[in-house]
Amino acid sequence: MTLDLNGLLAFWARRWDDILELLGEHLTVVVVALAIAMVIGVGVGMLVWDKPLPRSAVIAAAGVALTIPSLALLALLIPAVGLGWTPTVIALVMYSLLPIVRNTIVGLREVSPAIMESALGMGMTPLTVLLRVQLPMAWPIILTGVRVAAQLTIGVAAIAAYVAGPGLGQFIFQGLSSLGSKNALNFALTGTLGVVLLALVVDAAFVGVTRSTTSRGLRA
Amino acid sequence: MVFPTATSATPVVRSRTARRSDEIWSIKRFMTPAVVLLVLVALFVGLSNMTLDSIESRTLNADYIIARVREHLGLTVVASALVAVLAIPTGILLSRTRSRTLKAIVLGIANVGQATPAVGVIILLAILWQTGYFTALVGLVVYSFLPVLRNTMIGLQQVDENVRESAFGMGMTQNQVLFRIELPLAVPVILAGLRTSLVFCVGVATIATFINAGGLGDMIVNGLKLQRYPVLVTGAVLVACIALLIDWVAATAEDVMRPRGT
Amino acid sequence: MPKQLNTALLQIAGKTSGALIELNNVTKQYPNQPVAAVQNFSMTVQPGELIMFVGPSGCGKTTTMKMINRIIEPTSGSISIDGRDVLSLDPSELRRHIGYVIQQIGLFPHMTIAENIGVVPKLLNWSKDKTADRVHELLTTVGLEPGDFAHRYPKQLSGGQQQRVGVARALAADPPVMLMDEPFGATDPITREKLQAEFLRLQASIGKTIIFVTHDFDEAVRLGDRIAVLSNRSQIEQFDTPANILANPANDYVSSFIGLGTAIKRLVLIPVTAARLGPASAASKGGTTVRTTDSLRDALDSLVLTGLPALAVVDELNKAVGSISVDQISAVLGAEVPILTPTAEA
Repeated sequence: MTLDLNGLLAFWARRWDDILELLGEHLTVVVVALAIAMVIGVGVGMLVWDKPLPRSAVIAAAGVALTIPSLALLALLIPAVGLGWTPTVIALVMYSLLPIVRNTIVGLREVSPAIMESALGMGMTPLTVLLRVQLPMAWPIILTGVRVAAQLTIGVAAIAAYVAGPGLGQFIFQGLSSLGSKNALNFALTGTLGVVLLALVVDAAFVGVTRSTTSRGLRA
Repeated sequence: MVFPTATSATPVVRSRTARRSDEIWSIKRFMTPAVVLLVLVALFVGLSNMTLDSIESRTLNADYIIARVREHLGLTVVASALVAVLAIPTGILLSRTRSRTLKAIVLGIANVGQATPAVGVIILLAILWQTGYFTALVGLVVYSFLPVLRNTMIGLQQVDENVRESAFGMGMTQNQVLFRIELPLAVPVILAGLRTSLVFCVGVATIATFINAGGLGDMIVNGLKLQRYPVLVTGAVLVACIALLIDWVAATAEDVMRPRGT
Repeated sequence: MPKQLNTALLQIAGKTSGALIELNNVTKQYPNQPVAAVQNFSMTVQPGELIMFVGPSGCGKTTTMKMINRIIEPTSGSISIDGRDVLSLDPSELRRHIGYVIQQIGLFPHMTIAENIGVVPKLLNWSKDKTADRVHELLTTVGLEPGDFAHRYPKQLSGGQQQRVGVARALAADPPVMLMDEPFGATDPITREKLQAEFLRLQASIGKTIIFVTHDFDEAVRLGDRIAVLSNRSQIEQFDTPANILANPANDYVSSFIGLGTAIKRLVLIPVTAARLGPASAASKGGTTVRTTDSLRDALDSLVLTGLPALAVVDELNKAVGSISVDQISAVLGAEVPILTPTAEA
C-alpha cells in the first residue's frame, strides 16, 4: 500500500473533529497521570532523600515499574481494575515515577553542604530548609524529570488504546483492524503523527514552563 | 517501548551504586534474580492449583509457553545484535565527520524518533509492507537503533578534551586515539545505550503480536480476547520477568566491562 | 516551648550589642573515633569582645565554635549566653538570635540579595516594611548601594560583594552574638584586607560579641581583641591579647605557630606616633606620606615600596609633623611601647 496524499488530506478534513477529540483525550490522560505522579513522586522523594536505605529501595522499585513492558503492565492491571481510563492512568503514573522520584532525590541532595549549613545556622527548621531552600533549588531538576516522564507517557498512552484506553492510539489500532482497506494507512499514520506532534509540542511547552517557574538566580 | 533513560542527553542521573569491582557481586546484585525467581515460583504454584478449562490448557502448558518465550527472546536478541553491529559503527563514523550540520540532523532525528510511539511504527510497517516476523524485526531494529547511535556519539564526544589533546600530544594517530583512548572511555555510555535498546526490544517484541510475529504478547492478547485472565497474567508476568532479567544481565555486564578507574 | 525558655530567648534576643558567652568543660566525642574532637574546652568571652580562634586545620577550632549555635551538639559540658543555658533552648529559635557567617558564604542562589538578608527577619515574623528598612540599612552599612544590589541574585555579585552580603545577612536581626568561620578565607588578598578593615570599622560601631575562627595568624593579630591559640582537641595553648602573645609566647607550640617575623607582626599593633619621629625636613621628596593614624607596619611598607630613606608623617589636616625611617622603627621594637587597641583602629 502506498501513501495517497490527497486521500490523507481528505481523511483529515472529514475526521477533523475526531482527531481533535482524541488529541485532547491523549493530552488529558497524560496531564492527569503526570499530576498524580508529581504529587506522589515529589512527596516520596521529600520523605526519603536523606535516608539511604528507603532511598535506594524507592529508586529500585520505581526502576522495576519502568522496566516492565507497557503491554504487560496494562494487562496485569486489567483483572484488578478493568478496562479504559483507570488502567491507563495507573500505568502512566507508574512509568512516570522513576524519573520524577529520582530527579527529586538528586535535586534535594545536590544542594551544597554550605547552603544547608547556613540555612540551619540562620535558624530554619529542617522542614523550612526543605520547603524554602532545597525544593526551590531542586525545582528545575524535578521539572526535567517530569519532562522525561511526559515523553515516556505520551508514547505509552498510544498502546493503552488496546485496553480501551483514551487517545490517539485508537486511530493506530483502527488502522490495524482495518488492515487491507484504503483507510488503514490514513488511520495509523494520523494516530502516529499526532502522537509525535503532541510529544514535540509538550516538550517545547516544558521549556517555557521551566523558564517561567525557575528563579532567575538559578538560570545559567 | 519503555526504557531506562541513560544517555547524557537526558539529564536524569543514574545511580552510582556497585561501581568498584568488589561491589559488583554484592548481595544487592542478586536481589533482582531472587525476586524474579520468587515471582515465577508463585506463578507456577498458583497455576498448578487451578483447574484449567480447555482453552486455558491449550496455552498454559510447557510446550506452548517455551515456544512463545523462544520467539520472544529470539526476536529480542537478533534485533539487539543487529542494532549493535549497525548502530555502533554508524555512531563512530558520524562522530568522525567534521560536519556539525550532519551531526545535528542525526541527533535531531534521534530525538524525534524517541517521540514516535513504537506501536505506531510497527503497525505502519505492517500496513505498508507485510505482517509477520521480519516486519517485527525491522521495526525493532529501526526503533532501538537510535538510542545506541546516540549514546555512541555522545560517549565519544564526552571524552575529556584534555585527555584527547594529551593523547595527540604523545604522538598517537587519529585511529590510535579512537581505539585506545576514546572508545574504551566511551564504553560505559555505549553499553548503557545497548542496555536501553535491549529492554526496549523486550517491550516492542511484546506488541509484535499485533502483526502476527508471535512472542509472549500472544498470550496477553489471547487472554484478553478470550477473557482468560490466567493466560493474560502468565504472559504478562513472564514478559515482565524477562525484561527485568535482561536489564539485570545488561547492568551486570555494564559494571564488569566498565574500564577500571572510572 | 516552655514559657521560661521563651523568656530566656527573649532576653538573649533583646540584647543587641554583645552578650557574655561561657563555655564550661565542653567536649565533643564522635562515635567510633579514638580521641575527642574537642576536649574539656572552657572559656569566658566578655560582652562586645572579638575573640579569634587560631589553629591548624583539624585542631577542632571550628567544631568548638559550631557547638555554640548547636550546628554540632556537644557530648558533654555546658554553654551559656548571658547566663542562659544554650543546650536547653530550641536550636532553631536559638540560631535566629546568633549571627552566622561561613567561608563558603552559603547565600541562597534562588533568592535575591534583599530576600537573602530578609530570611531571619521573616523567620521572626517581622513586618514587610520593617524588613525592607532593615535590608536597606544593612546594605548601606556594608557598602553596597541598595538601589543597585537589593534585587540582584548572588551569582551576579563578585566574591567580595557576596561576602559583604553574608555579613549583612548574619546581622539582619541584630543578634548579640556572631559566629564567623573563616569568613574572608576564600577571597583574594587585596579583597580580604579591604573586608577586614571594613569589618573592624563595623564592629567598632556595633560592639557584638564575636567568635571568629581563622587559620591565618596575621588575620588574628589584625582583628582580635584576644586570641586563643588552639592545638589538637581544641586545647588552649594561650589565650591573651595579640600584643602579649607576640611579646611572650607561652610555649614552643605558640612560637612555632606565630612563625617568623614576630617583630614585623608586632608593628601592626603600634601606631606611627609611638616612634621618635625625625624632623619634617628629613623626609625624602617624592609625595608619599604616612599618616599619624597608620601603624608602623604601614610606615615600613611604604618605606620598602618607595625605597626612600625617610618619609614625611602627616596629621589629619595633611600637615607634616615629622619624618620616619627604618632606624626609628627598629628603635621602637627595642623598647617598651604603648599598644594600639585593634578595634579602635584599622
